Amino acid sequence: MPDPLITDIGGHPAGEIPKEEMNQLYWEKLMIAMFGVLSSKGIYNLDEFRRTVESMHPDEYKKSHFYWRRLDAMANLLVEKGHINYNELVRRANERLASGRRDHAV
Amino acid sequence: MQSSSGNRYALGDKVQIVDLMKAGHVRTPAYVRGKYGTIDHDCGNFENPEERAYGRVGRPPIPLYRVRIMQKHIWEDYEGPEGDSLVLEIYDHWLRPA
Repeated sequence: MPDPLITDIGGHPAGEIPKEEMNQLYWEKLMIAMFGVLSSKGIYNLDEFRRTVESMHPDEYKKSHFYWRRLDAMANLLVEKGHINYNELVRRANERLASGRRDHAV
Repeated sequence: MQSSSGNRYALGDKVQIVDLMKAGHVRTPAYVRGKYGTIDHDCGNFENPEERAYGRVGRPPIPLYRVRIMQKHIWEDYEGPEGDSLVLEIYDHWLRPA
């Protein structure tokens, strides 16, 4: 029998649910816009997105946030479909990190 | 009884949600598999998300229904009101007549 999907958590203990206002960060706005454009252009669909999130390592999934999952899935799908190159993605991300410009402003 | 849409279930039909033991992307949560319910709404036909998730076409479109299940049937220790129910959308191939 296949393992249940990591997103299939109905009936599991939820623990304390944090209720705090979270400001949307600038990169999160840009990423959601990009996600929507790529989806509407037919680069990927909602079911592929869900399948990609479900293939995350369970520990990573538990630690992840809404926007991180979306960004990871978007990047993975673009690599999977040959639109971007994985090594180039890593190289450019590392360049950006090394430059100290994180663009995390609200 | 066949519905006006030509789909095999009609409103009020009793169904069981089956466990297809299918790996990969599916839309039927584990906690309702094996449970009995009734057809609440015929949502129409949709391309199969279990195919679309892997870049395949997912045609022909398959019927999607809203199935109503009593909460006390889902959770043995359910403490809410007797008449509480849950309605969720289940694709045709996850259902069998009950």
